[in-house]
Amino acid sequence: MIQLKNLDKFIESRFQRVFILKGINLTINEGEFITLMGPSGAGKSTLLNILGLLDEDYEGDYSFGERGIKTMKERERSALYKSEFGYIFQAYHLIDELTVYENIETPLLYRNVPSSERKSIIANLMDRFNMVAKKDLFPAQLSGGQQQLVGIARAVAGRPRILLADEPTGNLHSGQAKEIMEIFQELHREGTTIIQATHARENADFGTRLINMLDGKIERDEAI
Amino acid sequence: MMTDADRIYKINQEFVSNGESELVGLSPSLLPVTLREEFTEVEQATLIFDLSIFSSVMVDAGQGNQEESKFAYVDEYFYDVFDFELIVGQKKGILSQPNQLVLTESTADRLFGSVSSAEGKSLKVDGKDYLVTGVMQDFPSTSHMEFDFLASFKTHRGSREPQWSPSNYYNYVKVKPGADMAQFKSNLDQMVDKYLGSDMDEYGFQTAFFAQPLTSIHLGDPTLTPFKPGTEVKYLYIFGVVAILLITIGIINYVNLATAEATERNKEVGLRKVMGAGRMQLFGQFVSESILLSCGAILLSTFILYLIAIPFENFGGVPLNFELLFSPVGMTGLLGLALIVGLLAGFYPSMILSQMQPLKALGNKMKIGSGAWVRKSLVVFQFFVSMGLLISTFVVKNQLNFMQEVNLGYDKEQVVVLNYHYNMREAIPTLRDEMVRSGTAISISRAAAMPHDVKGTYKIFPGGDNDREFFITGYAADPDLIRTINLELLEGQNYSESDPLRSSLKDENSRMPILLNESAIAEMGWTAKEAIGKRVNVGFTSNALVKGVIKDFYFNSLHKKVGPMVIFNDPDEANVLLIKLRAGNPTANLATIETVWKKLVPDRPFNPKFLDQEYASLYQSEQNVSLIFSLFAGIAVFIALMGLFGLVSYVALRRTREISIRKVLGATQGDVLQVLSVDFLKLLAISALLAIGFGIWFSNSWLEAFANRTVLSIWPFVIAILSVMVLAVFTIGYRSWKVFRLNPATTLKSE
Repeated sequence: MIQLKNLDKFIESRFQRVFILKGINLTINEGEFITLMGPSGAGKSTLLNILGLLDEDYEGDYSFGERGIKTMKERERSALYKSEFGYIFQAYHLIDELTVYENIETPLLYRNVPSSERKSIIANLMDRFNMVAKKDLFPAQLSGGQQQLVGIARAVAGRPRILLADEPTGNLHSGQAKEIMEIFQELHREGTTIIQATHARENADFGTRLINMLDGKIERDEAI
Repeated sequence: MMTDADRIYKINQEFVSNGESELVGLSPSLLPVTLREEFTEVEQATLIFDLSIFSSVMVDAGQGNQEESKFAYVDEYFYDVFDFELIVGQKKGILSQPNQLVLTESTADRLFGSVSSAEGKSLKVDGKDYLVTGVMQDFPSTSHMEFDFLASFKTHRGSREPQWSPSNYYNYVKVKPGADMAQFKSNLDQMVDKYLGSDMDEYGFQTAFFAQPLTSIHLGDPTLTPFKPGTEVKYLYIFGVVAILLITIGIINYVNLATAEATERNKEVGLRKVMGAGRMQLFGQFVSESILLSCGAILLSTFILYLIAIPFENFGGVPLNFELLFSPVGMTGLLGLALIVGLLAGFYPSMILSQMQPLKALGNKMKIGSGAWVRKSLVVFQFFVSMGLLISTFVVKNQLNFMQEVNLGYDKEQVVVLNYHYNMREAIPTLRDEMVRSGTAISISRAAAMPHDVKGTYKIFPGGDNDREFFITGYAADPDLIRTINLELLEGQNYSESDPLRSSLKDENSRMPILLNESAIAEMGWTAKEAIGKRVNVGFTSNALVKGVIKDFYFNSLHKKVGPMVIFNDPDEANVLLIKLRAGNPTANLATIETVWKKLVPDRPFNPKFLDQEYASLYQSEQNVSLIFSLFAGIAVFIALMGLFGLVSYVALRRTREISIRKVLGATQGDVLQVLSVDFLKLLAISALLAIGFGIWFSNSWLEAFANRTVLSIWPFVIAILSVMVLAVFTIGYRSWKVFRLNPATTLKSE
């Protein structure tokens, strides 16, 4: 489904190039649950950004299905965002001016989901995450962990085919973290392709494939 | 400024009869004589006889006849009252003898090549010889007078036996210093009683004289302004207000953007405070920044004004007076303006900036909240002004178009106007026949004036079959008038060649035939059919007979409703030839007519004008206003949009993160645009409502001045508001497009 060929990302400074990613070759099939691991600076987040179409500044080929990403028009990419990808940010990135409810609702609005359906999806998610009481609060009023949960809820609300998660459990205590990973697993069983970047070893166990990265290169790529 | 201008007054006269009053700027020839001899408070009085009220003159300075229209007779006291400079000649005794002439500097250059060669020369005016005894400075553009020739009044037969009637002259007095004007007025009233009392009793009218200060003539009542058109004060006020509004919008932009940027500068402020700056010092720093900007702006705008002065004068018809600007008064004014604007603009933002708490500032987490409400109302105001100005512009333009296109009741297209001199009148019938025979003219008529500019007040007195009394406009013409300009004869008959001319009828009971218009007969209570054959007393003629009734036409500006009119069969009073051209190439037809003219009256200048162009020039001042309004409206819209662009940029900057998130969540360009613009569009909607309210008020007030006006249409409002909204959306769209293009990866850094 996704293919990366000879992907490079570098920064030019004076006479040398500093490579953030070098020579990435990667094939991702539908339904996989991939974990990217590696120390800080390995390039996990960068790779995830590129996969999620957040970053267009790279060299090499990125094909989605039969189409090359770089040849797509803006509108097609926007459609891809809507139909294919759900993104969970390391820094949550909620919209401060919107309530919890509205934050989760936003992707659904962009997918033209009818009102009643929206309500029930959001209600279910919040119930699942035990956040019903916090429905009308603003992100500034939530703790880090709660914000993360909202970010996750927002990402999965639209039932994306591919879920990209950057340190999804960073600020959660172990109970919450487990809960989240179980949700991931459930989504995976339902057919969602999941790619997560994480430091936590125990999270990797939930996945089907483990990719280790170091200094912008893929060191190891094995199924588990 | 003229010396002693504050002591100089013009004397106007009022006529009252039967409850109707009329104020004119003219007065009789015996007035200045009486004032000079009998009024102790009068230092000097002078008389001006402006010939252009009646006709132009033929001046021959050795190169053949030239038509001149800026010709006036003045008496020998002219230079005692008005302090104009004589370049050649002595003021004492100048113009005290008949056949003496003073030229203005540029006229002397024009006719004789130079000022010095003009002195002592003689020239012919309408066949009479005159001696050039002096050359004076050109009348300054700030004077309400503008002549090329000043001849001695003693030349004119009207000077020999001054009378209390007719009132054909402009009379001015210079009073002694400290004169009591109230006393002067009461002395004027006593003079009227003494000399005109018995006439007033006998003829049943009243008259009175009023003194008008020289300095108030230009901006005063337009009907009293002699020589050259003044300016209506209301325009000055309007433009003044608009200019202030534009400056205000500019100040608003500054305030909005400076306060929005305050958050960016709070680190600087915090550091300064930590280093020991006091609030007043900071305040002073920021205010001086804005004053400096303001000074720079004034310099720039003066420079630009200087560059565009000439095109602006042609475009808007208003000359720009730089002498005034660069005088000490003007410069002080400009500096003051810069200071005031800088202060006003900088005050609020500086207050905000200097009051910031240092810790909060260094912590860098300042909300836009501070002043957001103020900014919103300012934006509303800006766009209210822009939309309001646009609506006003459209309303003025609409009325203008209406006046150009309204059915005047006669045809002005393809009609050539030729002025001719009284002395030529015997040649006219031959001229006429030749022109018709040449095939270029369908019909030719003689008239006392162009049909859109008929003056000449007469009175209908009770008598004959009529018992009403009212003022009526008289139009001297010939039997061809109706055909030439296509007037509509409703009832009765037109004059025929066999009808007697007015000038030949001396007898009071003459049964002189007259044509009246609808308004005239309505005033007397008759229908058109009833009116035919009725006897009417008009002017000095009793028992004139109504021969025909014509449909009303607009013989004055559309500011007034059509009044009563009588058309006389009186070609001897005429000095304008109206020529209806045959359809086809006007240039070719005109050339043929010129040939005929040159053949029959070779010594008369041929200065053709087109009636429709002359008509259009009636509304020159409205046109100028309309153009200037458009310019101002355009500037206002531009400034408001710039302000909007700045604000939107700022908001987009602050919301970059949010926009990237939305993009990741699937938002399209359109969704983002919507998110950014919704808030602004709400503000604009409020502006629109306010602008509609203003627009309605403005339209009603403006159109009130016109007796004939367009219906208040919805289009000015719709077009003005929609175009501003669309431009605003484009502005926001452009800005949001730039933000949308950014890579989410770069904008969404971890916090």
